[in-house]
Amino acid sequence: MFNFLINPYKFNKFVDIIFKPLVILTLLVLTAGLFLVYFSPLDYQQGLTVKIMYIHVPSAWLALLTYAIMTIYSIIGLAFKIPFSFIINKAIAPIGAVFTILCLISGSMWGKPMWGTWWVWDARLTSVAILFIVYLLIIFLNQTFENREVREKTIAIFILIGSINLPIIKFSVDWWNTLHQTASISKLSAPSIDMSMLQPLLIMTIGFSMIGVIIAILRIKAEILLRKKFL
Amino acid sequence: MLLINNLSFSRNDNIIFQNLNLSLSNRSIAQIRGKNGSGKTTFLNVILNFLESKTGEIFWEGKNIKKNIFNFYNKTTFIMDHNTCTRKMTVLDNINFWSRLSSSKLTKDEIVLLLETFNIQKYQNTKTMYLSSGEIRKLELLRLILEQKKLWILDEPYNHLDDLSIEILNQTFIDHINKDGVILFTSHLKPSINNLEVVDL
Amino acid sequence: MKLIQKIFFFFNREAKLFYSNIGDLFSNILFFFLSIFIFVFALGADEQLLRNVGMGIIWSLLLLSSTLSLRKFYEDDFNNSVIKIIHMGGMSYELIVFLKILSHFFFVQIPFLASIPIACVFFNLPINEVYNLILTFIIGSFILSCLGSISASMNLLNKTNFSIGSLIVLLFFIPVIIFSIGTNNSESDFNSLISLLLGIALIFLGISPWSSAAFIKLALRNK
Repeated sequence: MFNFLINPYKFNKFVDIIFKPLVILTLLVLTAGLFLVYFSPLDYQQGLTVKIMYIHVPSAWLALLTYAIMTIYSIIGLAFKIPFSFIINKAIAPIGAVFTILCLISGSMWGKPMWGTWWVWDARLTSVAILFIVYLLIIFLNQTFENREVREKTIAIFILIGSINLPIIKFSVDWWNTLHQTASISKLSAPSIDMSMLQPLLIMTIGFSMIGVIIAILRIKAEILLRKKFL
Repeated sequence: MLLINNLSFSRNDNIIFQNLNLSLSNRSIAQIRGKNGSGKTTFLNVILNFLESKTGEIFWEGKNIKKNIFNFYNKTTFIMDHNTCTRKMTVLDNINFWSRLSSSKLTKDEIVLLLETFNIQKYQNTKTMYLSSGEIRKLELLRLILEQKKLWILDEPYNHLDDLSIEILNQTFIDHINKDGVILFTSHLKPSINNLEVVDL
Repeated sequence: MKLIQKIFFFFNREAKLFYSNIGDLFSNILFFFLSIFIFVFALGADEQLLRNVGMGIIWSLLLLSSTLSLRKFYEDDFNNSVIKIIHMGGMSYELIVFLKILSHFFFVQIPFLASIPIACVFFNLPINEVYNLILTFIIGSFILSCLGSISASMNLLNKTNFSIGSLIVLLFFIPVIIFSIGTNNSESDFNSLISLLLGIALIFLGISPWSSAAFIKLALRNK
C-alpha cells in the first residue's frame, strides 16, 4: 500500500492521480488559513507581532520534519539499497533549506520588537542556524562528486551524522536557559496555547506542508526523469 | 604461472575488452599490442586488481589472486606508464625507499653498480625533479632489478629511452626469463626478443 | 617484523618530504601570527579585552591555519601513484591512511605547539589558560588530522568544488571548539571535558581510516 514511497513507478502513478486535487486543496487550505490568521485575536502583550508566529512556527516544524524524513530515507537507502530514497534526499534538501531560512528570518523579525535584537547567540537559534548550514552543505555536496553512487552514499552518511543536531534543536530550550520560549504544544500535556490561536496555527501548518509536498513532488518527478536510464 | 580466464571489463556500459584468455608459463614473455585507447593500461590495472573486472578470474601459481592479493603483490613488480618516483626526494632516497618497501637484499655497492650501467650515478644526490624524463624513466626501471620479483608487469617501458637503454632493457628481459621469470608488457614498438608472445587487444 | 620495518621507512620518507617543503609549514605559522596581528589591530589594544577573547581567537586561528595544509594530504601521492606502490609493498589502504594521519599529526600539527606560547604572550594569557590551550590543542589537532584525512580523500573524487572538504571539517569541528574553550570555564568540570575530547578523538580514529580507505579505493578505480 505504501509502496509508492519507495518505488518510483508507483510513485509516478500515485502522484498523477492526486496532484491536481492536491493543488486545489492547498489553495483552499491556504486561503482559509489566511482568513483565520486575519481574524485571530491579538496577544495582550505582543499585539500584532504575534501573527509572525503563524509563519515562524510552521516553517520551523517543517524544517525539522524535512530533515527527519531525509534521515529516515538515508537509513532506508543505505540499509536496503533503494536508489529512490537518494532521489528523495536530493529533491527535498532545498525545500528544507528554504523552510529553515524562512524560520530564521521570521524569527529575527519577531525578535527585534520583542527581545530588542535581531539575533542572540542562544542554543535554539544557533542550532537552527547550524541546521541551515548542514542543509546548504548537503545541497553543495550534491554538485561535487562525479561518481553518482559515491555521491549518494556520502550524502546519506552525512545526513545521518547531521541528524545529531535534531534532538539538540528540539530539547535546547529545555536543557539550557535560553531566551527562546519552551514548546507550547506537546503530545503529553494539554497545549498552553489558546484554542483561537491553535486553530489557525494548525491550518497554516497543514497548508505549509502541502506546499512543501507539491514542490517535492515536482522535484522528485524531474529527478526521476533525469535518472530514468539508471533505475 | 599466470592464468587469465575469460576476463572482461566495462566502464560506464562501454565494453573495453571482453573474453580475454591468456596463460603465461615460466620463462615466457608476452607483449600486449593495440591501438591508442584499446585498453592496454586498463587491462594491466585489472590484472593487478586496481580495477574491478566484470567477469573472469585471474590465477597466479594456481591460486585466485583476489583471495591472496598480498601474496600476488609480493611476487610482482609493476612499472606504470607514468613515473612513481617522488619528485622532491633525491635519487638515492627514492631507491632506498623502494628497496625497503620490497625488502630487497641488494647491497649498497650493487645499487651503485646498477646506477652506473644506466649512467645516472652522478645524480645520486640530486632531487628527481631536476632529471630529464629519460633519466627518470631509467630510474623507474631500476625497480625491476631492485625488487627481485618473479612476475614483471610493465606499461610502456620503452617510453623516453634512447637506443642503448632499450638494448640494455631487452637484455635484462632475456636474463630475467632465463632465471625462470615471467614478463608481461605493453608497447607500440616491436622489440627483437626471441619467443615473444603477442596478444592483440 | 618486515611490516614494522616498512612502517619505519614510510615515516622516514614522510620526514624527508616534510623537510623538503618545510617552507610550507613556516608560511602556515606565519599566517597564524599575521592573523593574530590583524585581530589585535581590528579589536584595539585594550589589554583586558584581549585577555578575555585571547583563547578563543588563538584556537580558531590555529584551526584555520592548520586547515590550510589539509588539501595536500593525499594529492601528491595519489597523482604519481606512489600510493599504489606502497599498497603493493604489502600495506592495506587502511594502514596507509592511519600512518598518514599519524605523520600529519607529528610533522604538521605538533610544530604548531611551539608557536602557541608565543601567541599567548601577545594576549597576556594567564599560565593555566596556556596549559589548557596546549593540552586541548594536542587532542584537537589529532581530531583535525583524522577529519582532514576524510575530507582530503573525498576531494580526490571531486573535480569541481574543492572548498567543500574544508567546510565539512569546520562544521564537524564546532563541538571540539566548544569543549576546548569550556576547559577555561571555572564552572565546568575539567576532567570530564578532556575525556569527552579524547572520546571524540577515539571515534574519529576508528572512522577515518576506514572511510578514507574506501574513498581512495574508489578514486583509484575512477582515475
